[in-house]
Amino acid sequence: MKLPIPYPDPMPLPGPVWLLRVLLLLTFFLHVLFMNCLLGGTAVALVCVMQRKGSAFSARLAGDLGRLLPSVFAFTITLGVAPLLFLQVMYGQFLYASSILIAVPWLAIIGMVVLAYYGVYFFSMKEQEQKGGTTVVLTLVVLLLATVAFVYSNNFTLMLTPERWLDVYHRNTGGWNLNWSEPSLLPRYLHFVLGALAVSGLGLVVGGVRKQQDEYRQWLIEQGSLLFAGATLLNFGVGFWFLVKLSGPARLAFVGGNGLATVLLGVGMLLALAAVAHLIMAKSSKSPKRQLAIGISCGLLTVGAMVVMRDVLRNLVLAPYFSPNQLPVAPQWSIIALFVVLFVAGLATLCYMLRKVAIATRMQVATGQTHR
Amino acid sequence: MNYPVWQLGFPGGLLIAAVAVLHVFISHFAVGGGAYLVVTERRAYSHNDSDLLGYVRHHSKFFALLTVVLGAVTGVGIWFTIGLVSPEATSSLIHTFVWGWAIEWVFFFVEIAAALIYAYHWDTLDRHTHLMIGWIYFIAAWASLAVINGIITFMLTPGRWLETGKFWDGFFNPTYWPSLCIRTAMAAGLAGIFGLVTAMWEASALRERVVRWSGWWLALGIASLLPLSRWYFHNLPPYSRAYFNGALSAPYIAVRYSLRGAAVCAGVALILTLVLALLRPKLMSPVAVAVLIVAGFGVMGSGEYLREFSRYPYVINGYIYANDVRVGQIKGITAIGVAKTSPWVEANTDNPHAYGRQLFVIECGSCHSVASYRAMRRFARGWDAKFGSEALLHLPVIRETMPPFAGDENDRAALGSYLASLAPATPWGASEKELGQQVFAIHCAMCHSVGGQRRPLDLQGTDPEGIVGMLGSLRDLSPDMPPFTGTGLEGHALAAYLSNPGK
Repeated sequence: MKLPIPYPDPMPLPGPVWLLRVLLLLTFFLHVLFMNCLLGGTAVALVCVMQRKGSAFSARLAGDLGRLLPSVFAFTITLGVAPLLFLQVMYGQFLYASSILIAVPWLAIIGMVVLAYYGVYFFSMKEQEQKGGTTVVLTLVVLLLATVAFVYSNNFTLMLTPERWLDVYHRNTGGWNLNWSEPSLLPRYLHFVLGALAVSGLGLVVGGVRKQQDEYRQWLIEQGSLLFAGATLLNFGVGFWFLVKLSGPARLAFVGGNGLATVLLGVGMLLALAAVAHLIMAKSSKSPKRQLAIGISCGLLTVGAMVVMRDVLRNLVLAPYFSPNQLPVAPQWSIIALFVVLFVAGLATLCYMLRKVAIATRMQVATGQTHR
Repeated sequence: MNYPVWQLGFPGGLLIAAVAVLHVFISHFAVGGGAYLVVTERRAYSHNDSDLLGYVRHHSKFFALLTVVLGAVTGVGIWFTIGLVSPEATSSLIHTFVWGWAIEWVFFFVEIAAALIYAYHWDTLDRHTHLMIGWIYFIAAWASLAVINGIITFMLTPGRWLETGKFWDGFFNPTYWPSLCIRTAMAAGLAGIFGLVTAMWEASALRERVVRWSGWWLALGIASLLPLSRWYFHNLPPYSRAYFNGALSAPYIAVRYSLRGAAVCAGVALILTLVLALLRPKLMSPVAVAVLIVAGFGVMGSGEYLREFSRYPYVINGYIYANDVRVGQIKGITAIGVAKTSPWVEANTDNPHAYGRQLFVIECGSCHSVASYRAMRRFARGWDAKFGSEALLHLPVIRETMPPFAGDENDRAALGSYLASLAPATPWGASEKELGQQVFAIHCAMCHSVGGQRRPLDLQGTDPEGIVGMLGSLRDLSPDMPPFTGTGLEGHALAAYLSNPGK
């Protein structure tokens, strides 16, 4: 039977595939870091809020997260826009079709994100005022964000399985669908959610390293390392489950059938183990800073490897039907050049602003004076 | 045809409009509000006005909460929605302007970062740096508007892009500059409106000063709208101008209401601004501010509606029709039929009604519903299957806003039969004249009027038998007319009515 895959857009790609892919993966990597810190961070904040009375450190961490999470949320969204753009230009005919099939939950993401965003601001405000009573709101925020992640998992698995589209469409043409019949849906979702918890643990370690020497710093690093290690080790099991549930050719590709896929899987696992080992050993090490730096770097590289692996998986599964390399290309070089110039200028502006804030904050801490 | 159709139960265009108007309202405030914040902060410093500074500080928190959260997320929401409702058009826009969007994303990123720093680092940064961050915010926000404006205006007036396919030809299109100026004026006006919102929480002396100050922003925005709109209007394609000029008056009631609505809302806003904000700021109340918000929403919503409407029958003018069918596809679909074009349609020959329904969804569903918005039950009342099938051949004549039908004869027959089944009222009348009027309403009134402006039929005094004769050969009179498919009795009643409509 002919599959209902829409024909690709008749216009040529406005940039070379390699460039679009690099930008897709780079911006997605940055998005994933912030998104993981958001999802994991709100879960950590919830635990801290619940333990506030028994632990001064938990209360302090809740306050820190209250200050940080609104900005993390803002950058999660901002950084999510770019990969979605590059994904559409390369794989639009798959993404649009699957999105329409699950249109209701897909569009509901917008409402859920708005609610969760205001929930995070509410938590932040209450923390600044040092008032409690945020458990319920934070629980809702975590549930909303976990649901958003679930819908994303549904769409990004459905877009890879056009053989299922007509069944899903005829089951409900009003868009009230999910991709429940996908065997890898649950393990994939759990794999990503556990990954988010692990990365937020890494975020706590980074936050701890940046603090001044005190017990809270040590506590943060320990808790972050434990969270990272626990979630990562669990993820080995869930990752194996995910691998088993992949379709035959994709599964085989990761266990020797495809060199790049197999190497990436191996390297990713080794990097994750190395990150766990360095973070755990840091406490008893003579040079904990170095151990932590290596652990954090390995953790970030693991995320990078996973992001590339995810892309390789997508291309492997779509290979029988389509590859962006088949598309005609007519690069708009003059606009690409303008984009690059503005991108660099934008980064420079961002660095300028952050530097000004950092210097001013340091001055404020040192002198105890404000400008107002 | 290429994609499945999300069957919402109402036209998807309405959903886009709902999300878009909310976003546009907040995002224009996000641009104008940036300038308002930084200029007001500067003013507070130069007048050494600590109360005004306190107000700007509070206003910046409100500003960030509204624009960074709801403004940014609803912007992504538009993107989600257009991809669901018009995937073909969205794909074309993405392929044409992906680097434009990438540039807009850079500005968006800087804008969000600057907004958060500006709103939450009043105590940390010195005055000069804080103002600098405010200016960075405003420049990035306005630049982001300037980029998106190129893509939005492209949809209505793609200009030379249709021949060259070049980015800059599409971007700097005939309505780019007037639209950018209108949007900048709207941004200034909305900055004033939201300035009034937060002013209502301030104590009375400060409140009056802020009300007057915000009033100037609002007055500037509204006063510039009229000349700028005229400039914009003159750059529209001739057929769009015709919609507004009333040359095609009769069917476009919504256009008339939108134009009048926008004018009334702008007028109300201007009067309230002059009287309550500039002359008697003491009298400005939360109720008046609420009226101004509604008026602002009215101007913005009407403007966006008119812009969208004036693009019909296209979603990208001259390139893709409103039902997401490419102009270049029509011939091919007409040759091979929808069933062989779209994998999403089940060609069930045993059940032509079900097939016709699918065709309705795919060809008409982006603008029409069965029974609610632009209901076909109303437009196709009394049709028979043959008339429906024939009428589909003449859609752009029936309504200039409609794309041509894409499909072969079987498709036309199935859709015509489906449309005829929606409200199969048989004409009846107590008198011949009433019957004639009803037959006219069913068979002729889509295109003609009697004694009206729209393609008037003046057959008064003509021999009824002569008219009956003409009914048998309408296509000879004009190839744009479908044949008369009524019964002999209905034909005679129609002829009697047309020959003496006043009797």
